Amino acid sequence: MSVLKKLSQMFSGSDSKQQVAGETVSEDPKPSDSPSAFAEEPPVHRRVIQASVIAEEAKASGSSDQILIKAEPSRDYEQCKFMVNRPLFEGHSWLFSNFEEAAGSPLAEAVFSVESVETLLVHESTAVVTKTGAKGLSDWEALAKEVGGVLRKTLKAETDLVSKDIVAKIPAEEVVKEEIQKVIDTEVNPGVAGHGGNITLTAITGNTVTILMGGGCQGCSAADLTLKQGIHGAFRKAVPYVGAIYDETDHAGGLNPYYR
Amino acid sequence: MPKLNRFTIEIETGETGTDLPVHFTINNHKMPLEDTQGGVGPAETFSGGFEIGSFVHSLTLVGPESGQWDVRKIKMDYDCEHTPPYSVVFDTVTLDDTTEVNIWQDPPLPTWDV
Repeated sequence: MSVLKKLSQMFSGSDSKQQVAGETVSEDPKPSDSPSAFAEEPPVHRRVIQASVIAEEAKASGSSDQILIKAEPSRDYEQCKFMVNRPLFEGHSWLFSNFEEAAGSPLAEAVFSVESVETLLVHESTAVVTKTGAKGLSDWEALAKEVGGVLRKTLKAETDLVSKDIVAKIPAEEVVKEEIQKVIDTEVNPGVAGHGGNITLTAITGNTVTILMGGGCQGCSAADLTLKQGIHGAFRKAVPYVGAIYDETDHAGGLNPYYR
Repeated sequence: MPKLNRFTIEIETGETGTDLPVHFTINNHKMPLEDTQGGVGPAETFSGGFEIGSFVHSLTLVGPESGQWDVRKIKMDYDCEHTPPYSVVFDTVTLDDTTEVNIWQDPPLPTWDV
């Protein structure tokens, strides 16, 4: 690129990375094999595309007579997922927001007996725990050992892990779908529309909800906040029997994020 | 974001190949791969790498100067500071003179048995 062109770009405020038609486009700096550094060279604009990753999710595995539990904290250490080679709550999911809600569910009672456990989400063969206090890797290492211990002890007892009252509360999938869609249409989407965003319900499995964040929400730096404080709150307030809520958005592929 | 000491890349080409050299970009700086072996013709496998020694904001594989390049698979091996080496395999992608593909993936989350 010529010096004149670079100066012109600097004063026009354009950067080497541009948002063109909503995609990240970089100005491709040619290798310095041109005869003159001042030679006029048209910039090459390339779109950065994402290839899907071929990966296997970490799962507890081993012989079926052993109870194996694997702990995996989230990248921000806000929560820790426990993957068990046994079903914990087949076909459904449930969020225990506090100790009181754990009453009658041996699995939740056991987990809440561990100091500093804040919430527990149970889904199929995974349990996701949040904690109070410090949340570094070493904090989770200590807590995970205790949680793993009580999970194993409860599983060995071979009782119903989740209260039958909870199972009775969960309506048919069609009802969950209808009510969640209503919340999306009347509360969530009008709220995010101001930022050019939209939320789509992609799947209901039992009482587990999967959504896709589109428009300005896809790739937005505040998407996690919107999801956890806005969408989770709206769903759980209007549909109290909703279990896990998953966001399957590829935020790296966002075309026009609101915040970047 | 971790400091990337070095990466190696192995590229399997599909039905449509391209010409050497293969370039990548690190934080928008275009560079040729080093220690290269193999080819990028149809069904050929190519490998290379680079000593980065810096923090990665973006890492991409650059498409051909002309025509298309069917990439069947990209295997990346990353050697980052304070992190055990890890590998990621990216699936099929078609590149051309208007595209580059992301080849950066954050280190995997720590996982242990309890």
